[in-house]
Amino acid sequence: MKPALPPVPFTPGASAANRAHRAGAKFLAPLGLPVDLPPDWQASALRKLDELCQQNRALPLYLDSCVRCGACADKCQFFLGTGDPKNMPVARAGLLRDVYRRHRTMGGRIVGALGGGEALTEQKLEEWYVYFHQCSECRRCAVFCPQGIDTAEITRAAREIMGSIGVATKYVTEVLKKVHEVGNNMGIPEAAWRDSCEFLEEEMKEETGIDIRIPVNGEGAEVLLVPPSADLFANPDTMIGYAKLFHAAGVSWTTSTYAGEAGNFGLFLNHEQLKLVNRRIVDAARRLGVRRIVMGECGHAWRAAQAFMDTLNGPLDFLDPPRPEHICEFAVRMMEERRIEVDPAANDGRKVTYHDPCNLARAGGLVEEPRQILRAVVRDFREMAADTTRGRTFCCGAGGGMLADELMDVRMKGAKPRMAAFQASGADHVATPCAICKAQFAAAFQYYKIDAQVVGVMDLLGRAIVIRN
Amino acid sequence: MNGLFLATVFHLSVAFFLLGMGWRCLGWLRAPVPLKIPLTPGPKTRVGVAARLAGETIAFRSLFRAAPGLWVVAWLFHLSLVLLLIGHFGGLVAPKFSQRLLGLTAEQFTAQAQLSGGAIGILAAASLLGLLLRRIASKPLRAISTAGDFFLLLLLLLIVATGLAMRFAGQIDLREARAFVSGMRDFKSAVPSPDSVFTTHLLLVCALLVYAPFSKLVHMAGVFFNPALNQTNTPRERRHIGSGLGPARVVFPPAKTP
Ligand code: SF4
Ligand code: SF4
Repeated sequence: MKPALPPVPFTPGASAANRAHRAGAKFLAPLGLPVDLPPDWQASALRKLDELCQQNRALPLYLDSCVRCGACADKCQFFLGTGDPKNMPVARAGLLRDVYRRHRTMGGRIVGALGGGEALTEQKLEEWYVYFHQCSECRRCAVFCPQGIDTAEITRAAREIMGSIGVATKYVTEVLKKVHEVGNNMGIPEAAWRDSCEFLEEEMKEETGIDIRIPVNGEGAEVLLVPPSADLFANPDTMIGYAKLFHAAGVSWTTSTYAGEAGNFGLFLNHEQLKLVNRRIVDAARRLGVRRIVMGECGHAWRAAQAFMDTLNGPLDFLDPPRPEHICEFAVRMMEERRIEVDPAANDGRKVTYHDPCNLARAGGLVEEPRQILRAVVRDFREMAADTTRGRTFCCGAGGGMLADELMDVRMKGAKPRMAAFQASGADHVATPCAICKAQFAAAFQYYKIDAQVVGVMDLLGRAIVIRN
Repeated sequence: MNGLFLATVFHLSVAFFLLGMGWRCLGWLRAPVPLKIPLTPGPKTRVGVAARLAGETIAFRSLFRAAPGLWVVAWLFHLSLVLLLIGHFGGLVAPKFSQRLLGLTAEQFTAQAQLSGGAIGILAAASLLGLLLRRIASKPLRAISTAGDFFLLLLLLLIVATGLAMRFAGQIDLREARAFVSGMRDFKSAVPSPDSVFTTHLLLVCALLVYAPFSKLVHMAGVFFNPALNQTNTPRERRHIGSGLGPARVVFPPAKTP
């Protein structure tokens, strides 16, 4: 076992310069956001804060009832990694709480600064921009907070307020623009989508000698599979895993170029986009006449689908059952019904551990299914330390719209706790069903000089699955 | 000090506290819960949710996992508060009933009140001091603490200190105190306050009661309204429609295709 990575000292301002690129007019306008800071931006922002407090109980409740006990402080990977006090969840929330106390509570309005509040100044806005984009909305703090305060809700609100005055990151808005224009985060047009599906079909033919299809926009299939678009280029083995699974199980399926994206960056910007991006999947499913929606390997996609889809764009009564299903649930069902067979020998020589994507574990309730699959398809499966898995998993360090290149420094620092736990496990492979985690792990392994590989759960299943003609 | 004046202040403070807390709770309840956001894995039934909330509020389960050292101090502090509340009520407001309940003679009852009150008071003071020291000694804690946090701790410490002073320094006559409290209870307050420490103690409690609804003390009620804890983890069993006491607002504007 290698030594754990050394802790980082408490350093005010340590991470203040880790700033995401601001979105310009090109990306703000298509999302209906103001392209410049409006002249009355303070008043607009406070109005928005007011509105959100009236629309979402969690927001005022969390701002009111934090007791500043500090139990959450050392639970956030970004504080652990950067040592910046403003990355303690309680302090991050404090950036919004200060303004809220000054402007929205009676005490704050009566006694002003004495009430513990602070005005929304340009400097404050800058702090909001920096530190609310150093939160991956992972909810780890909430698990340890005695009040159950979920700082991710506060981050979401802060981002929505900032968005309403034209302050957002280029990364998130650019991705959303691509989704609306092309149908997926990577901006892959239909022709290229079809090409790469064909390419993967040829690969599988070479490997197995069998025609395994990756259908595109096929009407009347049983299943609409919604993968993160990264699976087409960055994680092709995951895509191959889906294809082999459906083939072996004999279930007809299709992908959609209209809903070619499982991920929902609306979750990282505002409610409106959350709903709009989410609706694309429902619309595609209706149009293609499928009976089931199966979500691919993406963490926050699963939260947006299983927890929010029915509320935002339901009822989903045209589906049977009327809810989206996760590819891991689907695979487990197929294994239990003995519709597929697996041979773990195919993955011998790999020491595999499992990383719980935060949105699957803490917001999507999916913790056992991926493990069931891994235990069936890998002979050397090992867990990381219990305080870093399941509900207590660490974020990979790049969720919540933080996968931007310019945030690499804070991303790598945020990855530290996860890397330490991975090293301690002695594994040489980490399996994780999330495209963002995969991209981040690959970068972090390089950064921390760890000789290991990140794979999808479906990658390993795809290798182990027994294919017959 | 004038008994009638003290009684009036006290009753008004209690009323203010109850109304203020109710008003704060209503404020939260008026806002709907637009989305299903329970922390998972989480309970799927109402009974499970009740157990989760009980675990958090009685045993401070999450805090135990987060910071065992803090858990000991915080839990003992809250325990001592609850016990002191029960003790004050039983010993001062309803002494006859309590005495019968415990099956003690008057002397035994007074002796046990002195003993347990003193012990729990010391526990409260010690845990409060612990919380205060922690806030001062730890760098991260200093960074997140507000003036209000220190104010509350000092206020509570003063209340406990005056209470302990009556028990150990001045040896207050419990009979006088009971007479005063029952006078207050029945609004027959010709009875004067036993002494100035008693008066201070009572007025500090009034200050706490009035301050509570404006402060983080609302956490005593807030935790029960937290959707991350009180929602069942059933987004796929039942369709969640934004709930709340107010009209179900249209949180999401109609979709437009940019
Ligand atoms: S653990 Fe909860 S109550 Fe304590 S400081 Fe953090 S957010 Fe506030
Ligand atoms: S949600 Fe996650 S990233 Fe954000 S403050 Fe909490 S622990 Fe940190």
